[in-house]
Amino acid sequence: MGLRSWAAGVASGAPTPAFVVAGAGGRWAAEELFLEPRVAPTLSPRAADALIVVGYLTEGLMPAVMLAHDQIPPPRLAFQWLPDGAPDDPLAAMLPGVRVVEGGGLVEVIRDAHAGLLAGRGGGHEDAWPDVDPAPWRGIGPYGQGGKGMTGGVPYGRPLTGRADDRDGLKLDRLDVRVGPLFPAFPPGLELIVGLQGDVAQEVSVGQNPFEGALEDDVFRRALREAVPIAELEMARARSHLRWLAGALRVAGLPSLGRRVLSLAVRAKPADADRVSRLGRPLARGRGLRWLAGGVGALREDLGGPVGRAAGHVSDARSGVDEYRALGFEPVTHEGGDALARWRQRVAEAEQSLRLADAAGDATVGPPDVVEGPRGPLGAGPLLELLPDVLVGMEWGDLVTTVVSLDLDLEEAAVGAGVRA
Amino acid sequence: MRVLAGVLATVAAMGIGVYLAAALDALAGRVVGRGRLAVGETLALPARRGLGLLLRPRARTERPDAEAWALAPAALAGLAAVGLASIPLAPGLSVADVSSGIVLFGAAMALVMVAVFLQGWAPNSVHPMIAGYRFVAQALSYEMPLALVLIGAALPAESLSVGAIVESQAHLWNAIRQPLGMPLFLIAVAGLAFWGPLALPEGEDLVGGTSAEVSGAARLTWKVARLMVLVAGAAMTAAVFLGGWHGPWLPGPAWSILKTLAVLALLVWARHRLARVPIERFVWVSWVVLIPLALLDVFLAGAQALWAAP
Repeated sequence: MGLRSWAAGVASGAPTPAFVVAGAGGRWAAEELFLEPRVAPTLSPRAADALIVVGYLTEGLMPAVMLAHDQIPPPRLAFQWLPDGAPDDPLAAMLPGVRVVEGGGLVEVIRDAHAGLLAGRGGGHEDAWPDVDPAPWRGIGPYGQGGKGMTGGVPYGRPLTGRADDRDGLKLDRLDVRVGPLFPAFPPGLELIVGLQGDVAQEVSVGQNPFEGALEDDVFRRALREAVPIAELEMARARSHLRWLAGALRVAGLPSLGRRVLSLAVRAKPADADRVSRLGRPLARGRGLRWLAGGVGALREDLGGPVGRAAGHVSDARSGVDEYRALGFEPVTHEGGDALARWRQRVAEAEQSLRLADAAGDATVGPPDVVEGPRGPLGAGPLLELLPDVLVGMEWGDLVTTVVSLDLDLEEAAVGAGVRA
Repeated sequence: MRVLAGVLATVAAMGIGVYLAAALDALAGRVVGRGRLAVGETLALPARRGLGLLLRPRARTERPDAEAWALAPAALAGLAAVGLASIPLAPGLSVADVSSGIVLFGAAMALVMVAVFLQGWAPNSVHPMIAGYRFVAQALSYEMPLALVLIGAALPAESLSVGAIVESQAHLWNAIRQPLGMPLFLIAVAGLAFWGPLALPEGEDLVGGTSAEVSGAARLTWKVARLMVLVAGAAMTAAVFLGGWHGPWLPGPAWSILKTLAVLALLVWARHRLARVPIERFVWVSWVVLIPLALLDVFLAGAQALWAAP
């Protein structure tokens, strides 16, 4: 036992590998766990020792969360973190042994439990969704591969690989996979049903949005009802763009740079415009990014928001507002409308927003007719419906780059411009 | 006796090299990420992480190819060891400085493709499988430049032995004599160890790809095996392009180790500063740009060798 407890003591000094799930209202708190040196968010549940659900679970998220829980090799830990310490979540009780942490102190609770887990104490073995066949398999043939009807033909709802025409008119194996709603590279809640041939997406459809009408009342939604300081509005926009940039860098294989941008996003002040420009411009102009995102996922229509402006359309609800015109506001645009242009657009807009916030002082803006949110006019959400057409025919890596570059927010898409009652 | 010393030196170099590569990586992550820079703590991090993985169970997937899954990390580690075995740290100080050293190295590195593909195939899961296929495309693209620039380096030495190639650089390093060689070789090494911008089978867009389904000791062996390939590649760069043990003041092995560490540091820097290259663009660049450049490198090296011949 001496060796084991010594090893556990040494090992517990490393950050706790945890699979982090962003539930309703938990997206940004979940993101900020990337800044916590004592927790290491993992890409897949297999690499994790603990599951951390941040925010509230929904019916739509539940099956995926249960599967992710069960994929963490047992014994495992499960936590739900409710950062603002609101009432209990009945769905979390479906995860065996889950510990609910409200408000602060999450990391201490996790560290304690993790040290115990490594020393062989605590941690659950029970599955949330035991791997038991729902009905006996009635397949026929030497490998039980044939049959039809209930539990014959489509083994437990999972289609077998078939062959289909590919884009060159050849017959190739085709695999139907569901990716999400917990896929770390995608925005939380996005599920794609993809028909893959090799690594080319031949067919794409968007799964059910797991979020329901529930959204925190942020400054953009308040601006629909009352006068708010321009500085506050623009700081929120800059933070949103920088958080997006941090996530996009992570998916591009640059997690440490992403961490730097994320800490800037959390601590950004209006005077940080120069820092953002120093950090962002070389990134946006570099050859690496051009290879990753250049010519990928072009959208030329005027879709509003940064996506539309990245295609050269001067559509920004702010340009019709007198208070903004008084500050000399001119929308920034880029040409091309591809993923690269969208990267550059958001970096430029983050810098612009910080400069506007700096110049605005105490000026407020009355409730305008349309509020330009960080993803375009509030309440407009056509991007999700466009996804299948844009993504079909893409190689998997390009597909992920394109989805990331659109900065989707499924919670926002679920409610439009509404707010939580 | 000489062989035993070579084996011990190679095993020690591999162990220390792998640990230092992991520690350098953790340190670079802190520097680039502007995290708290506690050097001692960061240097201990790989040991802590490794022990943590050893204390955790292995994951099971549905109907995996269990034999292949067990074999893949062992094969990768074994191939890296064969590669390093052909590189002398000092005159005569190697496991097997055979007369056809670069052929042995090239043959071992060509089989890396099989090990990585097995690791992707075996768990019977979507993302690792795509990662496995991706690596086949990647390997077919970097292997030609890898082999060609090694041939270029062998020409002035008039020998395929790594020791003889180092000896031929007593007055002028191949990195200067053949300016195309080292950059091409470094790209190939990054591809070989699926590292940094060429970590395509371990990409975030595939939730870690070849390591998406592994946990516990299996995860540790896979990560260590990959770093072993990186160390073997860095040691080969130091021997073939940076003059190996040649250098003033310090003893020969110290120069070999320092140069290898410098190459490792460069590769670690690249990992934290360069975005992942999409596989389609890498294949295109490789066949349209890198392979012709590697051929040019061989022609120029051949012309130089003919010119210099008595």
